[in-house]
Amino acid sequence: MNFWQRTLAILHKDLMAEWRTKERLSPMAFFSLLVLLVFNFSFELGGAALHEIGPGVLWSSFVFASLLGLSRSFADERENHSLDALLMAPGDRSAIYLGKMLGNLIFLLAVELICLPFFTLFFNLSPGWFLLPLLGVFFLGSACLSAAGTLFAAMSSNMRLRELLLPLLMLPMILPALISCVEATGLVLDHEWGESLYPHLKMLAVYAIVFIALSLMLFEYAVEE
Amino acid sequence: MKNLSNASKVLSTLVFVSMLAALGFVFLYAPMEKEMGDTQRIFYFHVPAAISAFICFFLVFLGSVQYLRTRETRWDRLALCSAELGVMFGLIVLITGPLWAKPIWGVYWRWEPRLTSMLITFTIYVAYLMIRTHGTRSGQAPRLAAVLGIVAFANVPLVYYSVDLWAAEQQLHPPRNVGLAPEMRYTLWICYAAYALLLVQLLLRRLDLARIEEAVERLRQRRDELADY
Amino acid sequence: MLIDDIVLEKASKNFASFVALRAVDLCVQRGQFTLLAGANGAGKSTLLRLAAGVSRPNSGRVLIAGEDPQRNSKARAAIGLLSHHTLLYDDLSAEENLSFFAQLYGLADATQRVEGALQEVGLLEHRRRRLRGFSRGMRQRLALARATLHQPAVLLLDEPFTGLDQPACAALSQRLLQVKERGQTCMMVTHRVGEAAALADRLVVLRRGRICHDQQWQGSSQELVDTCAPFLGAIH
Repeated sequence: MNFWQRTLAILHKDLMAEWRTKERLSPMAFFSLLVLLVFNFSFELGGAALHEIGPGVLWSSFVFASLLGLSRSFADERENHSLDALLMAPGDRSAIYLGKMLGNLIFLLAVELICLPFFTLFFNLSPGWFLLPLLGVFFLGSACLSAAGTLFAAMSSNMRLRELLLPLLMLPMILPALISCVEATGLVLDHEWGESLYPHLKMLAVYAIVFIALSLMLFEYAVEE
Repeated sequence: MKNLSNASKVLSTLVFVSMLAALGFVFLYAPMEKEMGDTQRIFYFHVPAAISAFICFFLVFLGSVQYLRTRETRWDRLALCSAELGVMFGLIVLITGPLWAKPIWGVYWRWEPRLTSMLITFTIYVAYLMIRTHGTRSGQAPRLAAVLGIVAFANVPLVYYSVDLWAAEQQLHPPRNVGLAPEMRYTLWICYAAYALLLVQLLLRRLDLARIEEAVERLRQRRDELADY
Repeated sequence: MLIDDIVLEKASKNFASFVALRAVDLCVQRGQFTLLAGANGAGKSTLLRLAAGVSRPNSGRVLIAGEDPQRNSKARAAIGLLSHHTLLYDDLSAEENLSFFAQLYGLADATQRVEGALQEVGLLEHRRRRLRGFSRGMRQRLALARATLHQPAVLLLDEPFTGLDQPACAALSQRLLQVKERGQTCMMVTHRVGEAAALADRLVVLRRGRICHDQQWQGSSQELVDTCAPFLGAIH
């Protein structure tokens, strides 16, 4: 069980460091809110238009916030060269990926939970039972974003122009997940769960599993020197 | 080298002849389609281009996997050249598509599943090429590109599945097994053959070019090293 | 029989068009303290990183205790690295940093080991302080504790004296002497060859990615500086 011990050690270390400084969570959450505001002024939102655009606006702000947070997850390891120390540790190096991915997932979920009340406020949604399935969609969608994003963050931290290239890498690749997230969120907000919702949830689950499996196999190649 | 250029000349001639034959079949032999008229003939260029693009994307995947396993440059070279050709064929699909769409559906573009999926896949491989050019110092470029090449290809079925889910009702392309008249089917096969020969010729020439570029780079390095002493 | 702890066989490494190491052959035996010297850009740090398993050679191979560190966990568990970067986390305390590494290496009696390590480097009373508040000398002491926590057979040192004042240098030299007396194999890269004289058993000089000088060493600081001077002259 050493693999899981190391994964959890890395997760715990990231969470502890973040708890002390809050240098990722605050900017991510605030940025997400700002994006919601920008979209509000860019489109005439309210009423019927909200139903069409609301979920898309929400997930766009999450995706952009995640781009911010993901680039940090390997940036500080590179800055103080502690990635070398992690690579030198015995055992499967993909434990680093999994630990980082779980950390990114938790941060992204935290941002989403912070944004949700503001979203319901700005867009006049009445709170109700839809919150529970909505959290399920958030969880699956965030798992997809972190699974792919952590791998790309690891790759881009190794490249020139790293902050510039992470969006280029990530945005085309997460489109399948994004499509299903937006659809599923729309369905949940319309209180339509059942037949039409499951295919999307299945899609998200498959996407997350595929990317986690791929990343576990490819991570070592992405970070080696 | 002599043998190579002879083989290349033979292949070029074959490509030329097969393309001429394909054009002949498309415009002279294939019957006019009853609903769409002459515009339908774009089909014979559009579909083989799509198939060629996917063959190229598969070659990117193959080259990437083999590169990570063996670390031999030739596999990385295959991945790069196939990606370029795949993007080119994808562009042909994305241009012939709207050209076909305007007379038939009335608009140049509709967000319907096949077109949208092709657009997303095309974007993924354009990103691949951009990362290779701008993102990496050449020591690590092959390795990072190989990881990307594998992930990109794995993503393609996901793209198609999710876009299908999203816009199933908007499906405007005819279903895959639509019955084709025998003459149409023969014409299509001729076009497949022509495109396949084109793909092979372009790939081989591009691989040659890549090999020459690498040789020049090696010579340049050697010259710089000697200059140091 | 003398065991070869660190072996490089025709190891080469290049970065883009720059060739850092050219087909280097090197064997370091158990218990030897090898000093790697050379001008800037000679390839010393690259060689060390290959030995640490952090970098993969473009051709040739690297073996630690007979195994490839890139592939073999046991080989990696036998290596410790002390660099001029601390490889530690500023937002965690000294104790938390060491506990993290103890968990990473799967060490059984983590708490005792961490305490023992902190005691040994004289940082026990600062155990709960965050690293941000540490001086350079204190950080380097903690870094040494981190590097030796899992009792590696091989200790690699990359410019460990950088940024340390004279007393801190002397203290680090003293600790390295203790490490050497314990029988650990060491390889050190440093510009400040004077500090290393008392420690080194062997001097290897690199120039433009190749080994140009390799001798057993047993001399004074001044002699070491003089021997290295001609090789350090060229600046890239």
